[in-house]
Amino acid sequence: MPVKEIIPDLVFGPFTRTVLALYAGASGDHNPIHIDSDFARDAGQPDVFAQGMLSFGVLARVVTEWAGQDRLRRFGVRFASMVHVHDTVTCHGHVVERIDHEGRLCLRVAVEAKTQNGHIALSGEAIVEDRDALR
Amino acid sequence: MSGKGNEVGDRTLSRGIFDRSIRGTTTSPVIVRVERDRIRFLSQVLGIKDPVHHEVAAARAAGHRDLLAPPSFPMVIEALAHDERARVGLPNMLELLRCDLRYLLHGGEAYVYTGPIFAGDDIEFAAEFLDFQDKKQGTLEIADVALRFSHAERGLLVTGRRTLIHRLR
Repeated sequence: MPVKEIIPDLVFGPFTRTVLALYAGASGDHNPIHIDSDFARDAGQPDVFAQGMLSFGVLARVVTEWAGQDRLRRFGVRFASMVHVHDTVTCHGHVVERIDHEGRLCLRVAVEAKTQNGHIALSGEAIVEDRDALR
Repeated sequence: MSGKGNEVGDRTLSRGIFDRSIRGTTTSPVIVRVERDRIRFLSQVLGIKDPVHHEVAAARAAGHRDLLAPPSFPMVIEALAHDERARVGLPNMLELLRCDLRYLLHGGEAYVYTGPIFAGDDIEFAAEFLDFQDKKQGTLEIADVALRFSHAERGLLVTGRRTLIHRLR
């Protein structure tokens, strides 16, 4: 059964060095590969790249700003490619189907984040409680 | 996990970096306090503007007991738990796995939300090291980790699954 729901896209970026540093501080993940260009180059990377969980948190906004966090039951992603410093991502979500999730009527939402070059950086899905089921 | 024919063979031949002897073990639980400012700071960096993450009055007006932690906040709790472990001389998860940060990649992350996390909560964190695998002719090795975030009265609030990857030459 098709589900007609429009989920607005969300654009985030550019992922400046400042954003990466602030996310390191905010999250408590101080892995230098994301904030120290010298470390990144010594490790064979062209430069620092964004923390996966930074993009995860941004992509989750596509769902929570549309449905409200109270309805979110599951959110999971695969990190398909790196988000490099200076990249901008466009986050997209669309409802795939209605499903029964642990006895509750839910929506399965496919989500992905693409860089300005069209590379898929993250892809995954959210399970969101159906609004009708909450009435 | 999919059973590709060469994986069993790869496992015995592996020259990986992860300490695979910890397979099946769980970290001793650590309890940390969720501070309002950590919820505000993470929300601000992620561009989350909903006042339930920033203003206590707005959170209470929306029926929450205090500021609501956003969906990726468990990562902050985990980092706080690692800091707490370091204070008492215990290794953190990446040290237990013997990760090499030069070659470490984050393969995937998924959370199941069974209850909300609020500022002021004392949350218990534990990680279980589920499995290790070799992929792509031994050029990648994968660690599969389960995460648990629970509250003494409200029980299990979030469960997580994480895939960590080492790029091997």
